[in-house]
Amino acid sequence: MNPLRPVKAILKKIRRETADVKTYTVQVGEEFPGELSPGQFNMVGYPGVGEAPLSFSSLRDDGCIEHTVRVVGAVTASIDKMTEGDELLLRGPYGQGWPMDRAGAGDLLLVAGGLGLAPLRPVIREVLKNRDSFGDVFLLYGARNEKNLLFMDEYEAWRKAISFHLTVDELVTDERWSHSVGLITGLLDSVKFGGGKTQAFVVGPEMMMRFVCRGLMMRGVHPSKISVSLERRMKCGIAQCGHCQHVGFFVCKDGPVFTYKEVAGLMDGLL
Amino acid sequence: MFGNGMTGDPASRISDLLVPKASFFTWLDSLRERLSIIGPVAEEGRAVFREIASSGELYMEYESTMLSPGKVYLCSPREDLFRLSFGKGLSIEEPPRDSAQRIIVGIHACDTNAVLYLDRTFLGTFRDPLYEERRRNTILIALNCGTASKNCFCSSVGTGPFLKVESGYDMLLTDFGEDYLVEIKTAGARRLFDVDDIRGAGHEDFRLKDEKERSALRTFTKTINTEGLNKLLRENPEHPVWRHTAEERCLSCTNCVMVCPTCFCYDVVDEISMDMKTVRRYRQWDACQDTRFAEVHGGNFRARRSARLRQFVTHKLDQMHQYGVSGTVGCGRCITWCPTGIDLTEMAKQVQGK
Repeated sequence: MNPLRPVKAILKKIRRETADVKTYTVQVGEEFPGELSPGQFNMVGYPGVGEAPLSFSSLRDDGCIEHTVRVVGAVTASIDKMTEGDELLLRGPYGQGWPMDRAGAGDLLLVAGGLGLAPLRPVIREVLKNRDSFGDVFLLYGARNEKNLLFMDEYEAWRKAISFHLTVDELVTDERWSHSVGLITGLLDSVKFGGGKTQAFVVGPEMMMRFVCRGLMMRGVHPSKISVSLERRMKCGIAQCGHCQHVGFFVCKDGPVFTYKEVAGLMDGLL
Repeated sequence: MFGNGMTGDPASRISDLLVPKASFFTWLDSLRERLSIIGPVAEEGRAVFREIASSGELYMEYESTMLSPGKVYLCSPREDLFRLSFGKGLSIEEPPRDSAQRIIVGIHACDTNAVLYLDRTFLGTFRDPLYEERRRNTILIALNCGTASKNCFCSSVGTGPFLKVESGYDMLLTDFGEDYLVEIKTAGARRLFDVDDIRGAGHEDFRLKDEKERSALRTFTKTINTEGLNKLLRENPEHPVWRHTAEERCLSCTNCVMVCPTCFCYDVVDEISMDMKTVRRYRQWDACQDTRFAEVHGGNFRARRSARLRQFVTHKLDQMHQYGVSGTVGCGRCITWCPTGIDLTEMAKQVQGK
């Protein structure tokens, strides 16, 4: 079996999140492996446009997985044009996800910037499902503005189970806003997490992760307990094509989730 | 299927023989009906590996080739992966595999080590079936080097001029003048090597082999001191040598990567047919020196030329945690074929402060 061979999947549902982001519920057949973990990704594509790495925004509900996608390039633009019932090609799951085995050891801090909320959504769902297995859980989410918020209809359920803090870089409508305005690093002071045992999962633009990780370290979180999810160009997803190489790491195989300790300060990165 | 070293045959010496060259080449010619024989041939004044019709074409005294036979014949420069079609539903077909049975004869120690390096990429966590099939169907007959070329530095990185690894290839030749010392490394090669005109090699012969190795080692002019280099390069990512060399000399032409026998990167391309009904998905060699290689939406992690040059050089001389071995086999091709003569051993020396 050629690991580059994609399998067919059917688009069951498309939900619009924002002007340029949609969540796709995709039905995968038995050819698709059963074991998925939060933070992993698929190579998703269509004939003629190629493939792109997309993280899971939901693992398996009724045999379906979800990807939450912003239109940024050829592959995502072609997915954007699809309608429910259409077929697409994908393969996976790939990579090392979030260290869920360590997530319940102490407090858990989830920090998402922009579309980074998508790869954390399976973690949030896992917490909601097994709430007693986790300590205090904080979700800090920063979006560009109030029109760019993802998964809005789920916030109420999240708020009941975890401590949810929301900020936007700027407000662009006149609607009432009862949350923060400003960069996500500003939210770090609004939560009181329990020091040494705290695990932090951070995902968003690399520059945002740089400052969040530094902010977390200043507040006593050890770099080996901060996890970040990296984005790199990928063609294969299986540690061969070399595009995602980051100072000896294959981000597709060794990551995309790394501890901050592993990748802080590496050349050609922003952490 | 001949069972070369990759298939798990014992690495111990199976047999060591002295074989008259004439008998060796007669044997090689006898295989041509069943196998495609790839070897070094002189073409327009340069050696190149290609299929031969007769062993008379071989130029076994060659110094270096532009491309390594391992990379060309095991990692095809361009190959089809799938044929995809839209139609009433998407379909995915795999093209027929390249199942040719091949012998690569005369592959130098550096290039044999480079094949072992490529194995780490294509037969690692994820096995590439196209590479694997070609690797399984290819007999590697390695050849120890008697003379170093101007840019060779294999003696500094432990990959030559004489081959030291005991497995992963099938036979090893050492030029003894009228004879070859033939060291057979796999059971498959022993079965195949049915030559009568042979005698067992003894202590004296291996003493002569050692003498020839010492003699070959004296011909090296280029060296690199790898001691501590891995750590040193890592600790000096902003050393001025990267910027100076990149700005003053590097053209981002990708020659260094294309000729490198251990560079494994590839691009995957979808090509739509003229009738817009099918798609040919193929892969082809790609290079980290290309501007867009590390580009993602909203940024490029190696937009600067110096970052790309540094990536190539440190991937060869540093980043050893990737596979636990050095990425260079000391063949010197990246130096030979750089249009502006950029020399990674010189860059290393500058970082080392020499």
